[in-house]
Amino acid sequence: MRPESRAMKLVRHVLVLGVALVLLLPALGWGEVLKVAQPNQSLYPDPDFASAPIAPVPVGAEVNVERQAGDWYKVDYQGKSGWINRQAFPAPAGATQPGLSGLLFGTPVKQTSSDEVALAGKGFTPEVESGYRSKHPEMNFAQVDKVESFKVDPATLQAFIKEGDLKP
Amino acid sequence: MRREAWLALLILAPFAVGGCAYALPAAAVAYKGATKAAEASRPINDSEEYYVGRAVAARILGQYKLDQNAKLTQYVNEVGDTVARKSTRPNPFRGYHFAVLDTEEINAFACPGGTIFVTRGLIKTCKNEDQLAAVLAHEVGHVANKDGINSISQARWTQVFTAMGTEAARQYGGVAGNLVSLFEGSIDDVFKTIVVNGYSRQAEEAADAAAVTELTRAGYDPNAMVVLLTAMEAKGKGKTSGIFKTHPPTSERLAKVKAEVGPSPESKGEAIRTKRFKKMVS
Repeated sequence: MRPESRAMKLVRHVLVLGVALVLLLPALGWGEVLKVAQPNQSLYPDPDFASAPIAPVPVGAEVNVERQAGDWYKVDYQGKSGWINRQAFPAPAGATQPGLSGLLFGTPVKQTSSDEVALAGKGFTPEVESGYRSKHPEMNFAQVDKVESFKVDPATLQAFIKEGDLKP
Repeated sequence: MRREAWLALLILAPFAVGGCAYALPAAAVAYKGATKAAEASRPINDSEEYYVGRAVAARILGQYKLDQNAKLTQYVNEVGDTVARKSTRPNPFRGYHFAVLDTEEINAFACPGGTIFVTRGLIKTCKNEDQLAAVLAHEVGHVANKDGINSISQARWTQVFTAMGTEAARQYGGVAGNLVSLFEGSIDDVFKTIVVNGYSRQAEEAADAAAVTELTRAGYDPNAMVVLLTAMEAKGKGKTSGIFKTHPPTSERLAKVKAEVGPSPESKGEAIRTKRFKKMVS
């Protein structure tokens, strides 16, 4: 057999490198875009609700995910880098559509439903509230819904703040 | 030796390590599964806090009627939002909501997750908007510090995880029942704390400190809190129920707040604020 030329070897290794990069990049989470689905969300400097928010992130805003740590995503939003809690998003990244990494390594292992509940960290859910309401029909949840409908729109609040010589 | 192969390996190594650190979705699920037992000690998350808060609010609204004055409710929400946006927790899971309870009793309640009640009696005790802001800022402080939700006993919260993790119970339909009972118990824990027994002295003082910060950041006069607490202390002599039990305006508390507040800011808006407060409350 003819020995492989040096040029051919280089081409082969470059090809291997290219394929490997294509396969591994999705695993890094680079370029993954998530859309904020819940109101009242903010970008935080640390993965902690107690830290002072950097900026509000409205519903529908798209953020670039850099990485994930527990319940928090490190994201880039309009050039600002910070953390958003997973409650902002409808479902964990990659949960619905398997990406390239899913094709390579298999989709996430299907857990039992109690595992899913535990993994999602949901102990008290709307279903539990529903069970509680059935048990306590005397509880006035209709009034609670009414209270939760009380909202001040941003323009009205700003006008209120300005009129009272308060800080915006 | 194959220099190019080593070169390729060296270039790829950081990505392989990075791939582990940044958690492949499948690997993350597997990892979380492996550490499920360890999650038994995790804190209650914001969504769970919200559902507990809703049930606590429903229980409070079983005892008190909601005030039907829409303009007053709107005004209280405007004052409340003005201070809440300056708190350390400006955006709870479903936001803050403020409501007035139609009773002459002097009281205020902060439900976990951001629903805050203030009675008509307490609003009337306030002399101006800055004092009402002080009341609401203190209650926002309790929400931000998670004082309500933290009154759920650790033992009960551990039981919630036991219920969720018991596969056999799930199969026989026991988990839902267990969780509802534990939810019920959690509501009892929180209700007893915020309506019956009150928070610890430390929690009260921390909420006062949070309120002073919120008021200052929002542009209200933080001394309004000193004036209100002084009036409440005089009013509460000999009283051991309602707000005088749940939020005792003690001389120690007053002294701490006095030490925390700075000078009153010069504000041409104070007269306007007082005017609009009186218009709403009259």
